[in-house]
Amino acid sequence: MKKKLLSLLLATAMTASLAGCGGGGKSAADAMDEAQESAASGQEGQADQTQQESQAKTEPAGEGNGEAKELDTSERVDLVVYQLGDAPADEAKVEEKINEILLEKLNVTVDFQFTTWVDWQQKYSLQLTTGGVDLVYTANWSEYGKLASSGAFLPLDDLLNTVSPEMRKTLGEDALNQCRVNGELYTIPCNYLEYTCNGILYREDLREKYDLPAPNTVENIEAYLTGIKENEPEQQLLDVSGQENMGQVFNFKYPWVTFTGIPYGLSINYDTPTEVEDYWFSDDFTDDMKTMKKWADMGFWSRSALSNTPQEEALENGLAVMYFSGYNPAKAVGVKAKLEETHPDWKVEYIAFGETNGVIFPANRQTNGTAISKDCKDPERAMKVIELLLMDEELNHLAMGGIEGEHYELDENGIYQNLSDKFPYGGFNTWNLYNKDYWLSTETSAELNEMFAKYEELGAKTKFPNTDIFGGFTEDTSAYATEYSAVQNVCDQYLKPLQIGTVDDVDAAVAQFREKLKEAGIEACREGFKEQWLAYCEQYGYK
Amino acid sequence: MEERLERKIWGRKTGVVMTAAVSAIAFILSLPFVSWVKVVNISSLFPKIGISREAAADLYQGYSIFNLLDFVQKGGQGKIGLYAMILLMLLIAAWYFNLAYLWKAVRNKKRKDGDLGLYAAGRLAMLSVLLLAGASVGFVAFSNSRFGMKGFSASPVIYLLSVLCIMAYAVIKRMEKKERELYHEHGLLKEIRKNWVLFLMLVPTFVYFMINSYLPMVGIYYAFTNFNFRDGLWASPFVGMKNFEFLLKGDLFRLTRNTVLYNVAFILLGNVLQIIFAILVSQVSKKWFQKTSQTLMFMPYFVSFVLLKVLVYNLFEYDYGLVNNIVTSLGGDKIDFYNTPAYWPFLIVLFNLWKGIGYGMVVYLASIMGIDGELYEAAKVDGANVFHQIRYITLPLLKPTFIILLLYSLGGIMKGQFELFYQMVGNNGVLYNVTDIIDTYVYRITMTQPLSIGLGTAAGLYQSVFGFVIVVVTNWLIKRKNPQYALF
Amino acid sequence: MKVKISKSMIVFQCIAYVLLALGAVVCVAPFLIILSGSLTDDAIIIKEGYSILPRGFTLAAYETIFKVPGEILQAYKMTIFYTVVGTVLGLLMITLTAYVISRKEFKYRNQVSFLIYFTTLFGGGMIPWYLMYANVLNLKGSTFPIWFPGLMSPFLIILMRTFISESVPDAITESAKLDGAGHVTIFFRIILPVLGPGLATVGLFLALGYWNDWYRSSMFSVSQDTWELQFYLYNLLNASSSMKQMAQSANIAMTDIPTQSMKLAMAVVVTGPVLLFYPFVQRYFVSGITVGAVKG
Repeated sequence: MKKKLLSLLLATAMTASLAGCGGGGKSAADAMDEAQESAASGQEGQADQTQQESQAKTEPAGEGNGEAKELDTSERVDLVVYQLGDAPADEAKVEEKINEILLEKLNVTVDFQFTTWVDWQQKYSLQLTTGGVDLVYTANWSEYGKLASSGAFLPLDDLLNTVSPEMRKTLGEDALNQCRVNGELYTIPCNYLEYTCNGILYREDLREKYDLPAPNTVENIEAYLTGIKENEPEQQLLDVSGQENMGQVFNFKYPWVTFTGIPYGLSINYDTPTEVEDYWFSDDFTDDMKTMKKWADMGFWSRSALSNTPQEEALENGLAVMYFSGYNPAKAVGVKAKLEETHPDWKVEYIAFGETNGVIFPANRQTNGTAISKDCKDPERAMKVIELLLMDEELNHLAMGGIEGEHYELDENGIYQNLSDKFPYGGFNTWNLYNKDYWLSTETSAELNEMFAKYEELGAKTKFPNTDIFGGFTEDTSAYATEYSAVQNVCDQYLKPLQIGTVDDVDAAVAQFREKLKEAGIEACREGFKEQWLAYCEQYGYK
Repeated sequence: MEERLERKIWGRKTGVVMTAAVSAIAFILSLPFVSWVKVVNISSLFPKIGISREAAADLYQGYSIFNLLDFVQKGGQGKIGLYAMILLMLLIAAWYFNLAYLWKAVRNKKRKDGDLGLYAAGRLAMLSVLLLAGASVGFVAFSNSRFGMKGFSASPVIYLLSVLCIMAYAVIKRMEKKERELYHEHGLLKEIRKNWVLFLMLVPTFVYFMINSYLPMVGIYYAFTNFNFRDGLWASPFVGMKNFEFLLKGDLFRLTRNTVLYNVAFILLGNVLQIIFAILVSQVSKKWFQKTSQTLMFMPYFVSFVLLKVLVYNLFEYDYGLVNNIVTSLGGDKIDFYNTPAYWPFLIVLFNLWKGIGYGMVVYLASIMGIDGELYEAAKVDGANVFHQIRYITLPLLKPTFIILLLYSLGGIMKGQFELFYQMVGNNGVLYNVTDIIDTYVYRITMTQPLSIGLGTAAGLYQSVFGFVIVVVTNWLIKRKNPQYALF
Repeated sequence: MKVKISKSMIVFQCIAYVLLALGAVVCVAPFLIILSGSLTDDAIIIKEGYSILPRGFTLAAYETIFKVPGEILQAYKMTIFYTVVGTVLGLLMITLTAYVISRKEFKYRNQVSFLIYFTTLFGGGMIPWYLMYANVLNLKGSTFPIWFPGLMSPFLIILMRTFISESVPDAITESAKLDGAGHVTIFFRIILPVLGPGLATVGLFLALGYWNDWYRSSMFSVSQDTWELQFYLYNLLNASSSMKQMAQSANIAMTDIPTQSMKLAMAVVVTGPVLLFYPFVQRYFVSGITVGAVKG
């Protein structure tokens, strides 16, 4: 009995395994080959057919036939517009007014939703990932490039042609081309050109008082700060923290293609974009870091700066005499306006890096845009809504200023005067709806426009007149994602102390930094970046 | 029939032997060299789902559940990835139950409830295989609908196993029924009928955990994918263990060491301090002092880490900080706290203790309150002084609470107090070697990449598995010594 | 009758008083700094740092916070609503669950405990959790996802279970069962009355969890009406610093926000109400047992 059972079991096991086994080892490619051989003769005829089909399909993109298509507005659609920041107090009121008009024209309503200022980057990605929004604010500093190339937004070329050819004409091909990622257009830029170059904001009254040079070069900055320190030893000079990019000041020295630092310590000059040099492994870098250490030792900033959180209004509160990272003309003008109220005897001046190194350009058009998310309920009507909000004067003013008479009024010079803080200027944070044709000018915008005019003149003399060539470049790091993360980590840990000058021996620290970079795989990153950058330059003709 | 089943061969019941054999068969048949899913119509399938001739060279014509994910990865078929992973999980569960049953059948240890434990294990084993088989068939149907044509087919092994398992299940059920009558035990349905109130009480809890924890657990799948918007959350390409690479690149050993050491310090020192202070508070004679001091000690809980960071910076800053002011006025040199890693382990532990002491103390206070006052009276009569009372009454009675809290914290030993580290250290790279924990490292990396769902989930999974293993082992050890202290 | 105090007791009391006093000071000092800072002029804080006493006394920070009183009162209202509803419901659910898994006759209590604890170890992350409430249940914007997730936590369930098994010996429940009491009777008549400290502790933790939460408002709120207090303040604080760090064009409506003192005032505003009702809860777990506490 025992033996019988055993043999029965074994037999069952073997047959069962045979039934399933054997298939695991054979490659699928063989089956494909076999099938293809037998079908090869039948396929030739098919090949011709498919070729003809594909030829018929390719039409030149970008050419509209000039006529906007009539949209089917029989069903009402409720769209969600996702903006950054906070909702204004009178959100409901103004939204209602906007929807009145939109319902009439398109049978559509919009609901503005906001990320609030807490964890906004996380929420922004979250909403795009989980769906539920139709129109989205985009900006190149809000990961537009990465999100677009990953498919978060719908491609807009065809939609523009069919639904809003007028808008295409108004914005112009140049602006639209700057918003392309991998050749496809994913966002509609606003209709306003602005200069967001970086530069230095400093106390002019102190400079005059002690007859110091204007800090428009690295040496002059040192002279300026030393001068103030000698004369007012109690005055704190710079409020520095680990969050800032101290290396920006070297834009005075190098005419780089971008102010915020070229990735992976490479060096690319604006005039010669295809020549990709090295910065971090060069002697220039060691010298620059020694300068930083010298400044730190001279007491220009606190030794514990790395763990400091930046003081938001250090200069305005007398805790600093200079800002040199992240200040653009608009912010500078804002500070000036504020100081007029609080410290009228202080004067501040702004020097853009471009005034010294000759590289200046307006912001890339990707800075403020509106995109349509891939989960949009009705892309055609969404596109039309963008057109209306941007180009229809009444709607544009509603979105930007609120209800005239209640939230704002225009005085005798046509200057915007705010009437109620329930809806401040740009209340819905719709910087993507700036339209220079319907601009509600404010008191400070006159000064700002002056500065822009100055820069435009300067910019016209650069090699690629008034074009931000780096701003339109999106890097796809997926092939070397691990190395990318590792390199970021190394920078956090070893570069920042160098830049803030808290290391004891600069040469040793630089050597260690370079060592760690190599370990993290910076070569892979550089190779990948260089390849993509050169291809990009080739595509756009930046030689 | 039943007598035949009950007859013993090899010292065990026949029924058990037969069903154990089925278990063994199920185990063997699910091994990698047996294919459960066959790929058919390859020549028309592959072009349709986008697999080229070169890619096909890496693929097979038949897959076991083990290397199904391989097909998903190499063939770029992210949309069936989640289901394939679920199958793998079911397979591992089925293996566990079947091996457990085999083990029990082989050991043949008599327990106080007879063979009931064995039968329960047997039923679980058979059910798990049935579930696996059913899910596999479902997978084939699901994939075919995704492909838009018949691309997979279930191999006959699945059907064979199903039949065998159903038969084995019936056999076990029969035997179990008899055994149950012997021992006055009940099955699940009878249990529910008997204690239906208790089950009813658990319903809201069940709903809560399903919604809040168990259903979202599917998201663990993201740890193995490379998310992109086009494919969306459920169909992104499967990349296996690639997301875990970035953890390794970040010097995983150092991160793990930091995380574990800090947690050990927090847990041990924290609990000890809390116990000490709880005892002190409970013994102090003036009631108003008790209440006030306890309230005051609770205050740090309300100081958020954001605020704490600001205060601490003011204390330890190099030029103007309070501590350095005191040091220099006493004639010493200024201490550069923010650039010297050596101080920080102590400082961080200190801050954590400070913040948590009032909060944790409450638990121990409540426990002490529950101790019978008469015990102390009796002790006093016997001549024990305060210290003796604490040592022989209070501490032993606090032990269960302490152990449970300890065990509970062990599960989180790889997870850190992110806020604490992030705020205290900030972006100060100099201190990273000693203060970087897994959470802060992952945060820094994922902040720079908006598509990094996979990276974050992978790190979380690593922490979870580590903690899980530690807790299960420790709980099992404790259970053998003192079952009432165990967590589960 | 005068109880003779032994020498060891005196020593112990001294140690206790000293240590506790020290501990209390260390714990409360930073809070005093916060309080004084919230009443100090912002510019002075930036220049001179913090101190125990306010300088340049001003209520500017509180004014900013309460500038739109309607908003902050709404936030208070909502937070009280969440706290009360959440704590009561949560306490009930937790105690019931703890009761069930402490019953020896419940055959599956180990498995259930394991399943509950398992959720602290493994989780799918934030996104599927968010998807569950926002897409599957379609409740984004309602108050449900704000109070529901906070109802239970495995930690509190296990804590409560420990309390129950400590306070109520088996003998009592056994005899009650022999007398014919069902589970409900046992629960309400026998367990609950002696569970004072346990209920107070778990209730306190639950309530504090709700009171301090801001994350769920951040994730699920669509309109400001449902915001929690902490989130309202947190958002107010982040507004100015976020706007300043973002590289965008002229944003004229930058109001003068006293950020430093405001951060501190926020802490005071949030903590204040808690300190008011804390003493009520405190008496459940602070009481002198040397003075002959009789177990009720």
